[in-house]
Amino acid sequence: MADFDRGALVTGWSFKPSSVSFHKLSALLTLALLIFAFSFGNDAFFTVNNGLTVLLQTSVIGLLGIGMTLVIITGGIDLSVGSVLALSGVMTGLSIKAGVPVAPAMAIGVVTGAVCGLVNGFVITKMRITPFVATLGMMLIARGLALQLTGAAPISRLGEAFGLLGNGSLFRIVEKTGGIFPKVVFAGIPYPAILLAVAVVGAAYLLNRRQSGRHIYATGSNEEAARLSGVLVDRTKIFAYTLSGAMAGLAGNVLMSRLVTVQPNEGVMYELDAIAAAVIGGASLMGGVGNISGTMIGAFIIGVLRNGLNMAGVSAFIQQIVIGVIVILAVYVDQVRNRR
Amino acid sequence: MTTPLVEMKDMCISFGGVHAVDHVSVDLHPGEVVGLLGHNGAGKSTLIKILSGAYKADSGQILIEGKEVHIHSPRDARHHNIETIYQTLALADNLDAASNLFLGRELTSSLGFVDDDAMEAETRKIMGRLNPNFKKFHAPVKALSGGQRQSVAIARAVYFNAKILIMDEPTAALGVHETQMVAELIQELKKQGLGIFLISHDIHDVFQLCDRLAVMKNGQLVGTAKTSDVTDDDVLGMIILGKCPPGAVPGPGAIAEEAASG
Ligand SMILES: Nc1ncnc2c1ncn2[C@@H]1O[C@H](COP(=O)(O)OP(=O)(O)OP(=O)(O)O)[C@@H](O)[C@H]1O
Ligand SMILES: [Mg+2]
Repeated sequence: MADFDRGALVTGWSFKPSSVSFHKLSALLTLALLIFAFSFGNDAFFTVNNGLTVLLQTSVIGLLGIGMTLVIITGGIDLSVGSVLALSGVMTGLSIKAGVPVAPAMAIGVVTGAVCGLVNGFVITKMRITPFVATLGMMLIARGLALQLTGAAPISRLGEAFGLLGNGSLFRIVEKTGGIFPKVVFAGIPYPAILLAVAVVGAAYLLNRRQSGRHIYATGSNEEAARLSGVLVDRTKIFAYTLSGAMAGLAGNVLMSRLVTVQPNEGVMYELDAIAAAVIGGASLMGGVGNISGTMIGAFIIGVLRNGLNMAGVSAFIQQIVIGVIVILAVYVDQVRNRR
Repeated sequence: MTTPLVEMKDMCISFGGVHAVDHVSVDLHPGEVVGLLGHNGAGKSTLIKILSGAYKADSGQILIEGKEVHIHSPRDARHHNIETIYQTLALADNLDAASNLFLGRELTSSLGFVDDDAMEAETRKIMGRLNPNFKKFHAPVKALSGGQRQSVAIARAVYFNAKILIMDEPTAALGVHETQMVAELIQELKKQGLGIFLISHDIHDVFQLCDRLAVMKNGQLVGTAKTSDVTDDDVLGMIILGKCPPGAVPGPGAIAEEAASG
């Protein structure tokens, strides 16, 4: 996993194995255990193809989780990402229907997400509304817009090119057999997975190697201290929410492209998965703590659980219960550790 | 007389009806240490926070080297070479010493990468001078002791070649030895021509380090005096009773009969 984490930033090698690296280690262990357990239970689980499926399924939570992590580190929360995802997809779909080619139409979708995030940032910093309330409002607004613009009906027949981002893959190897169905030797790396990898590297670089990343941590650690130190706290927050919105826009396009249909009621409760991924990965809702690689581990724990439990025939209801328990356990383990 | 480095004239600020700073005027010359004294809640921190850009004054005028300036943010203050050690230290708890020292003005490489190694090297240098026992360069500052945190805050204020230094109870959490080092540092900086506002509750420190002192009571200025013109008891009388002794220049906060006779 791409990781620019530097010992000195939030962890401290020379001092004691820090709670952050401990948390990441235990999350990673949980992930390994899950994979082991599911492989044991089902031969089809630990295969390249299923691995790629998990990767594909996790990419949406992963993208949302990246934006969520930035926002959580500033000490905020973004409840609007699930709805913004839907609105972005709708904007892309409507643009395509209006004759815009697929690539610029997708760009319109991502920009829509960024604008929603920008509005969140302004409401939070300039109108001084708490992030919970501001993004709750945006959650309703974006969902309402998505439903209103489409009349709550899905937009389909968007053309093959629209499905490429969600369904295409790199290095796909297909053997011609002469028959009707060619034999797939290697399913290829799905584009969403590549997109996720790029986003992970970019976000980790931003957080650990850029000034704006350092300011995101400082703002969440102690907002007043950051301000007195000359950090432009408002601008830092607006930046984080805008990125979160843009990631939601990206995730929306990936998801809708995979379905080759725009669904205005897609993405309900996705914000909770994204928050869960960040929290399992060690982000603190108090702000100032969190990192991208942790969130990715969190996203994959959720993805692997869903996939493995599905294969084992466990119902979606039970899956929710299991994920809920894991979220609480992850935070509890961290607290027990910190109390010592 | 030379132009003062800083002149704060008739500063006022109130928080919901409380006059935290009420028509206070103070000045500071290059190479001078001015002590700000007063009981808890007298308005000392609030006064200097106006100068450091943390608060915006309701009224009043700030002149730096004779020119009127408008300080609306901590960045503006830094722009005028004003550095501050806040009473609350103002550190980002989850970041390490170097990240705190350079917070808001991180060293970056030519590609815009945050240069953590360079920042750590600089931090080691300055901490070596201020607090040679300091070793926890990789720990988040929340894991440091009160005195260690204070050293980090002091290092941040003196690193960037300030002209005007504001120290709000800089030695409150420091041990005897570290306090002595800060006293030596103040004397050294003074020789370099810095002007320093020093807020302290320790009258002994004030007499040892300050050239002049200003006493506040209930948001008002009781008076200012050269340290050589007043005694310990005079100063205590100013702080506790608001009585301005003959050696001091009375301010609006001095009690009436004394103001008339002084
Ligand atoms: N942000 C604020 N909001 C409301 N009231 C404030 C604020 N800051 C200071 N005050 C009030 O202003 C008055 C002066 O406070 P200030 O912190 O300047 O005192 P001080 O002289 O520094 O005291 P101490 O010696 O305890 O540090 C107090 O009555 C305080 O309650
Ligand atoms: Mg104070």
